[in-house]
Amino acid sequence: MSGNGWAISAHGLTKHYDKLVAVDHVDMSVANGSVFGLLGPNGAGKTTIIKVLTGLSDITEGSASVAGFDVTKDPMHVKQRVGWVAAEVILDDDLSGWENLWLQAKLQRLGDWKERADRLLDYFELSDRRKDRVGTYSTGMRKKMEIALALLHQPEIIFMDEPTIGLDPNVRRMLWDLITGVNKQFGVTVFLTTHYMEEADALCGRVAIIDHGKFVAVGTPSELKSRVKEDFIEIETSEPVTVDKLQAIPGVSNVRSQGNTWILRVSSAEVVLPEIFRALQTDGIRRINVEKPSLETVFIDITGKRLDQSGGDVQDYRKFYMNLRRARR
Amino acid sequence: MSTATESVTLPATVVRLGDGRVGQMTQFYGLYARELVKTFRNPWVIVITLVQPFMWLAFFGGMLSQVPSSELDQFLLHAPPGTGYLSFLLPGVLSTGMLAIGMFGAMSTIQDKRFGFMKRILITPTSKATVYLSKALGSATRGLVQIPVMMAAALAFGVTLHGNALGWLASISGLVLLGVGFSAFFLAITASSTDWQTPGVISNFITMPLMFASGAMFPTSIYPKWMQDIASVNPVGFSAQLSRDVMTYGQFSGSDLTYLAYLAAFAVLMIAVGTALASRYLKVE
Repeated sequence: MSGNGWAISAHGLTKHYDKLVAVDHVDMSVANGSVFGLLGPNGAGKTTIIKVLTGLSDITEGSASVAGFDVTKDPMHVKQRVGWVAAEVILDDDLSGWENLWLQAKLQRLGDWKERADRLLDYFELSDRRKDRVGTYSTGMRKKMEIALALLHQPEIIFMDEPTIGLDPNVRRMLWDLITGVNKQFGVTVFLTTHYMEEADALCGRVAIIDHGKFVAVGTPSELKSRVKEDFIEIETSEPVTVDKLQAIPGVSNVRSQGNTWILRVSSAEVVLPEIFRALQTDGIRRINVEKPSLETVFIDITGKRLDQSGGDVQDYRKFYMNLRRARR
Repeated sequence: MSTATESVTLPATVVRLGDGRVGQMTQFYGLYARELVKTFRNPWVIVITLVQPFMWLAFFGGMLSQVPSSELDQFLLHAPPGTGYLSFLLPGVLSTGMLAIGMFGAMSTIQDKRFGFMKRILITPTSKATVYLSKALGSATRGLVQIPVMMAAALAFGVTLHGNALGWLASISGLVLLGVGFSAFFLAITASSTDWQTPGVISNFITMPLMFASGAMFPTSIYPKWMQDIASVNPVGFSAQLSRDVMTYGQFSGSDLTYLAYLAAFAVLMIAVGTALASRYLKVE
């Protein structure tokens, strides 16, 4: 464990890719033994933060310390103390589960790892498939194998990049249980990124909301949710509507537009909805969506947009093509 | 899901082998073994590695071996009378075969980058230099599979092999050094590439001139001056001449030791320069 009680700390952390500012002066402290979530849309800079904290990518400006070691000055010591679970599940499909563990042990320079590997395979219920090539594993098994690899060298911190992206609800639920179990049973600090609100809410002790490379809010899920006590109503109409008309509706405290969609901040959706229908009856309401206070409404409140409508830059392309290649393979 | 709530006891500590040479050798061994295991699990890689030199022997050698022996003796000049063209060609084909093996190492590296496995490697305390060396030596080793198969094929085509144990040791060492050198060269110039097409393009670009501007296929004395100049520094020619002296003529001499020293210098230089370049330019993805 790192000495000062922080598994990760960063000051003014900044990463540029040519002219693109992927991470913009981020400060953070993640306590030992906690589960910290980085919540944000695709392309917000979540993966880049993992890359710079694990020494995979250089820091442009600022500093970061992971497991008590400076990421820039001492990356090899950081790498001995962190595990990594990729968004797209990266294993060597030509090797068996046991061979993947063997390779991980070699790369982490472990001298005595077989007993721990055996127990990890037992824990993740993979023992009976240990000799099979991981290319034949199901998606859930591959994810579990990846977490076993990440835990083999007894890391202090596990970085999980969108651990449940693209998984069906059952596998996602199983992974949530596993992530909680890994944190509690093995005392490992978990740093995860996600763009699923419910995931951050269910798993994380603390959450940072990131947008365009900046932390826009940090706190426990309940602290963040308490920032926004009002409901949000999202409306799409077939006819143009003016801001004044929407602001005049009783109970509407704030109006923002996002393309053809309006986002109204209201005291109580139940009370205001009939007023909206009355006011907009001639404007052709095409779609209406109500958000009760949640991390989603916090995100809308801070950024003025929904999580699933944000972002979309270079990182998205990379992930998309990575998944496409995997599917073709 | 019950697993996460079940109690499990993991061994409290894992033993590390340290940051020094032992640790680095462990990482190198892991990656090198992975290269070989993956190769031998993919029969097509083996087939492609073997077929190309075999085709040279069969088609090119087959065609020229039909030339009447009196004219061939005149053409091959310094070769002892009666040396068939296949006997002359075999050491050349073995040497030129080492030119292309780096391509497979480069393709395997690009595959690791594109499928993200390079990230999995480099997120561990493994240096880029170790990754580079494992790839370079892995692909060189893979290329050496050609040698016994080619020997068997040559014997089947009726070639008589000469030489003593010391000569053969020098000859095989020369081929190994040539393979290591070109594999190291190939991986160094593709270290920053992520494009599947790059290794093929570079292979085409370097293979043709280095193959013909050497004594691998024909005696250099029939070449124009500018090609002789290239051949005089081309390591492919040194390896071909060394192996030819041993296998074809059975005349292992002091000049062959010079060839061997030159090939060793070539391999060491390529590895040293390549390691420095890869440490700096090897891309993660």
